[in-house]
Amino acid sequence: MRAGRSIARTFTLVVSVCTTLIFTAAIGYSYHRSRVALEKEVATNVANLVQGSIHRVETTLRAIAKATEGVARALETGHPANRSLHALLKATLLDNGEIHGFGAAFDPDPVLDPPVPTVPYFFRRDGRLIFAPEDSYEYLGQDWYQIPKELGALAWSEPYLDRASGGTLMTSCSVPIFVGTGEERKVRGVVMADVSLEGLTDLVESIRVLRTGYSVLLSRNGTFLTHPDRDLVMNETIFGLAESLDRPELRDLGKKMVRGGSEFLAYTTIGGVSSRMYYAPVPSTGWTLVVIFPEAELYADVHSLTLVVTVIALAGILLLTGAVHGIARAVTAPLGALATATEEIAAGNFDAGLPPVGTRDEVGQLTLAFAAMTSALRDYIRDLTETTAAKERIQSELKVATDIQASLLPRLFPAFPDRPEFDIFATMDPAKEVGGDFYDFFFVNPTNLCFLVADVADKGVPAALYMMVAKTLLKAEGQRLGEPDQILACVNTILAADNDSCMFTTVFCAILDTESGEVRFANAGHNRPVLISDSTARLLPVRTGFVLGPMADVVYTTERMMLRPGDVLFLYTDGITEATNRTDELYGEKRLLKALQTVADMELVEMLAAIRAEVVRHADGAPQSDDVTMIAIKYRGMPNADR
Amino acid sequence: MDIQTSTADKALVVAVGGRLDALTAPEFERKAAELIAATPGPLIVDFERLDYISSAGLRALLATAKRIKAAGAQMLCVGVTGPVREVFDISGFSAVFQMHDSVVGALAAVD
Repeated sequence: MRAGRSIARTFTLVVSVCTTLIFTAAIGYSYHRSRVALEKEVATNVANLVQGSIHRVETTLRAIAKATEGVARALETGHPANRSLHALLKATLLDNGEIHGFGAAFDPDPVLDPPVPTVPYFFRRDGRLIFAPEDSYEYLGQDWYQIPKELGALAWSEPYLDRASGGTLMTSCSVPIFVGTGEERKVRGVVMADVSLEGLTDLVESIRVLRTGYSVLLSRNGTFLTHPDRDLVMNETIFGLAESLDRPELRDLGKKMVRGGSEFLAYTTIGGVSSRMYYAPVPSTGWTLVVIFPEAELYADVHSLTLVVTVIALAGILLLTGAVHGIARAVTAPLGALATATEEIAAGNFDAGLPPVGTRDEVGQLTLAFAAMTSALRDYIRDLTETTAAKERIQSELKVATDIQASLLPRLFPAFPDRPEFDIFATMDPAKEVGGDFYDFFFVNPTNLCFLVADVADKGVPAALYMMVAKTLLKAEGQRLGEPDQILACVNTILAADNDSCMFTTVFCAILDTESGEVRFANAGHNRPVLISDSTARLLPVRTGFVLGPMADVVYTTERMMLRPGDVLFLYTDGITEATNRTDELYGEKRLLKALQTVADMELVEMLAAIRAEVVRHADGAPQSDDVTMIAIKYRGMPNADR
Repeated sequence: MDIQTSTADKALVVAVGGRLDALTAPEFERKAAELIAATPGPLIVDFERLDYISSAGLRALLATAKRIKAAGAQMLCVGVTGPVREVFDISGFSAVFQMHDSVVGALAAVD
């Protein structure tokens, strides 16, 4: 747990990252939507503002046009006397404060006298009307006269600077005067109103969008009529500017403006500021009103709002991270303490204290479970220690028992070094620490050797205990009675008394007359022994008797046979014939006979070792399941008889 | 080892299969004791399916026979053949127990 990243850290990290992502997405989306909405709204507002301004300009211009038209229509009916013309012009000028100067001019007419009359012209100065007739007659070639005459309609002139009024920006509205109707209708003259654009430029310049946004008025030819940069006014056109700045897009823009279009678009100013532009035409005069404002100001509110929201979000994330970390630590701290305690328990210290259980939550339950486990482990280990100790005690006792049992059987060979007429050798390998097999041999008198092999039912300690009794009885009764059938019958009677557990033992008991080689034997349910004579091994035909122990009053029969010098009598227990290999195949009597035949001429010690090795080889690693006991006796004959 | 119990006429038939050795003998003895206690009367032990019997198995049989005898009934052995028969013969059990070829034969012998 201490290695690697802690749960608290991971948890905190995941929550912070997720929250940050969510906030970023939300703020980003909100910022984007706000920008779009704001741009839309500002576009609408700017359009409205511009259209409103244009409307005001138009209203003024239309009023002037209407007044001028009125005079022109009045002059179409009859030939006005100079006096009445002057009065009409003065009256109109007085009625229309927007008009600076007012006049009328006529085509030369031979009917008139003089044919080219003086052009009457009145203009304002310091609140008074001054009469300044034009008598140069050059007007016939001037734009203000020519254009409306040729067009046959009202025309506004390109703005110009009027030197007479001290460089005021002016424009003229000219209306043709017609005579005749239908085919004969023709232009007779022109009524002209000079208009100061000072009022209009003031109006245009007063248009302010956002903080530093400004407006520009362009004439029909693209000449700057108003601009924050005064040097441009009447000195430069948008096309000239495009040329000098090498900005072709400005030229295209100028063309669209001159054509009378309107548009809201992104625009980079001459100073290189990203801005928005809106332009729309003034229909009467073909001028264009342009409004430009910096993008930064457009989005300033959105930016500041987003900034504030971001700061709040960051503060919130910090707070949340702190809170999550705190909670995660509070949850995992007991786990860490528990892990430390558990490690100590794992190291074997069961008395290590677990952290106190404060709450009934999962950690609390885990701690309780650990406490229960520790307690159970402690008990288990104590039990295990006790059991192991007990087992070890039993084991050591069994070891002693093994030694005792082994010491009970005659183990010293050669057993009778002073008796050359026979050899005897025996072995016993218990399957467990103690076994139920046993053998024995002893002289019942100087020429009669009793030898026997026995197999107690079952294995282990019960069999070993029974074996002790059986062996003791057999030896005692053997030495007392001296005949196999009597020995077995007598021992059986003793064993059968109070034998509730039905334990029993098989015994093959024989007595060899060492002088004659005659063997008297009786069998109590034991395997038939093998007689090896003339290098041939065969099972000795033996009458079966009932095993010793379960039933009293069993009668056994003594049989007799003769051993010739060199003959071997081989006695064994079923540990040999019933030894199994890995495929549960029994060693069997056939294999035993064959093996014995091949070792027939060996000394008894080697013969038994060879048979034991043969059985082990047959088992091929399968565990020994029963005690293996062998006893062999070889009759050599009386040395005296040979001589 | 497996033990199958059935009732035939007037006796209880216990068929033993597999191996009756030091490992399984205690179980056989316990089971037989239970059966005898539950249904007193003659007991026929069928060895037809038994592959192997050890001395421990023989001891369990003796104990069972003794228990039945104490209850005033008798134990009969049927189907004792092959290796099991050899063990019975060598140990002299064939002469002590009532041996029959079949359950029917054993039933006929029950008084």
